[in-house]
Amino acid sequence: MTVTLRIDGLAKRFGDVTALASASFDMRPGELLGLIGPNGSGKTTLLECVAGVRDADAGTVVFGDSALAPRERKNALFFLPDAVRPWPDQRVAWMLEFIDGLFGAEDGLRLWVRGALRLEPLLDKRIGSLSKGELKRTLVGASLLTPQPFLLLDEPFDGLDLRQARDLAAVLRAHAARGRGLCLSIHQLADAARLCDRLVLLADGRTAAEGTLDELRTRAGLAPDTPAGIEEVFLALT
Amino acid sequence: MRSRSEGPARLLWRKELRELAVSRSYAMLLVLSGALVGHAFLTAVATYAELSGAGGAPSALAQGMNPLDGILVPTFGAYDLAATLLLPFVVIRLVSAERATGAWTILVQSPARVRSMVTMKALALAAAWIVALVPGLAAMALWRSYGGHVHGGELAALLLGHVLRAGLPIGLAAAAAAVTDQSASAAIVTLGVTVGSWALDFVAAVRGGAWERIAAFTPTATLRLFEQGLVRASAVAVMAATCIAGLALAAVWLDMGARLWRRVGWSAVVLLGFVVVAAGGARLHSSWDVTEDRRHSFPPADEAALRALPGPLKVEVHLGAEDPRLSDLQRGVLQKLERVVPRLEVVNTSQSHTGMFARADEHYGEVWYEMGGKRVMLRSTIEPVVLETIFGLAGVAPPARGEAAAYGGYPLAATGAYAAAALYLAWPLLVVVLFAAFRRGRAVRRSSKGTGEPPVDKPAA
Repeated sequence: MTVTLRIDGLAKRFGDVTALASASFDMRPGELLGLIGPNGSGKTTLLECVAGVRDADAGTVVFGDSALAPRERKNALFFLPDAVRPWPDQRVAWMLEFIDGLFGAEDGLRLWVRGALRLEPLLDKRIGSLSKGELKRTLVGASLLTPQPFLLLDEPFDGLDLRQARDLAAVLRAHAARGRGLCLSIHQLADAARLCDRLVLLADGRTAAEGTLDELRTRAGLAPDTPAGIEEVFLALT
Repeated sequence: MRSRSEGPARLLWRKELRELAVSRSYAMLLVLSGALVGHAFLTAVATYAELSGAGGAPSALAQGMNPLDGILVPTFGAYDLAATLLLPFVVIRLVSAERATGAWTILVQSPARVRSMVTMKALALAAAWIVALVPGLAAMALWRSYGGHVHGGELAALLLGHVLRAGLPIGLAAAAAAVTDQSASAAIVTLGVTVGSWALDFVAAVRGGAWERIAAFTPTATLRLFEQGLVRASAVAVMAATCIAGLALAAVWLDMGARLWRRVGWSAVVLLGFVVVAAGGARLHSSWDVTEDRRHSFPPADEAALRALPGPLKVEVHLGAEDPRLSDLQRGVLQKLERVVPRLEVVNTSQSHTGMFARADEHYGEVWYEMGGKRVMLRSTIEPVVLETIFGLAGVAPPARGEAAAYGGYPLAATGAYAAAALYLAWPLLVVVLFAAFRRGRAVRRSSKGTGEPPVDKPAA
């Protein structure tokens, strides 16, 4: 049975500032969903609210037929924030084993993650000493060890060079092929269009559009066979 | 490194220990504990030796030499300073660092509950504090090696007091670190509360009355009980309740996704629960005098007679809070009565603080004892006189007192050999070596290569 995750009408204000006005979209198993939008559009706040690590003012997250309270969402999804450096005094190997043990990763997944993300040379390094790209690979690797059916990654390609980004994209694709639904917050529109099965356009805290690139082209009034890229689609829809 | 069969609690426990092992603030606490204990111990041994007649001087006080007052309390007194000024930073580091680095966001999405994670932090901090007590215990071992005497009950009470004393900054600093966004803010809040408790001690000493009853449960006052070899159920209950309330507040505010009003509501519930439990605990009357010289107890025959008094005993005191006669009365009579008389009411009606300007109160200096409608006034604070008066009021004959063995004291003129080497040199060196080893320790690899292919597909839930 295919169980989707439905985010409906999430809203969040910080004082007088509206970070999220109303965001709604679906996540599906085995799918790479790209959450795109300019800086300040509310991507990170949206992911935090979906994950339940920040309280939303309104909106629901529905897993299958069940609306999930914030504290129940960890049963359905895992969220990896951007710009975090957890346990900087500990070693990479320890963190991977700790996450593996705490979350209960599937047998064999840890070996695959280490190999696929080329984490072996980093295992003895202290997390605080990792470069930005090494840290990103390590943390994405740790998040792949979590067992929840859906995974939210905030800017997973930030800090990676071209080769690393391509390798990570392949790993994420392979991971999604196992049936896990991935939502990637990406500010590089071209990366999102190349990698993701579907896209959610976020502008001014609202979901401007949702669909495949061809569906978005159509919705934007651009013929599917035109060479219009994601940038033109985004500008047309927001 | 770990087994996949380990439960979340065990994993979290080991994580907290690892974090403490590489924590600079904890290493600093351990090193400074050694230095503080070393200084306190050497000073205490030298003073004790002098009063015991070292160097051929007359030993006028030798028979009253008590290791609890002369060695144990001053040596472990260093830990009061460490618990006040150093331990809060270790606690704040353990709580705030995970929030600041994003580790907490990962942890709260694990199967472990927030309260389990906070509990593991508290247990790890308690274990860390017990490790910090090693220099004090080493000093006691040295004292024994000099031929000194240590009474097990007194040492146990003192250790219990310092463990409970550490529970206060653990609870308080954990709550402060959870409620505030910055480590610096948490430190200011924690130290602010500590300074506030000192102010409360001062006000209570000057004003007495309700202030004194509240201040009886400040960290300083409660620790003083254990230092005197008196284990009071009320002190244990209030100290434990304060620690648990602080940890509960921390758990409430570390629940990241909870709405503000929900956090505030649960905080109110926690505080209300704390007030109820602490108020109930403060009324507990059980206490245990664990001193070798039974300084908080009447002779056994008198205690048996006092427990069997026919009616409630009321004591009306007209002495100012700073009047030394009140201290004598409390220490020599009232505290002992509270431990054995089932129905005792003590009222201090004096409005004066010192008694120096108490002319308006014509009864100043009087202590009235009332039982069964009869009242007797005494100005004496001497134990046998008061007991004779109480038994007279009750209409019972004073029990015959046997020849109780007098406390002989344990004079000892020791030099403090090896103490400086052990506490100033060996202990800090051990801490530094272990700290460096933990930070340098290599991770254990359990595998070498990945397969390059994802494991067998498994449908999502």
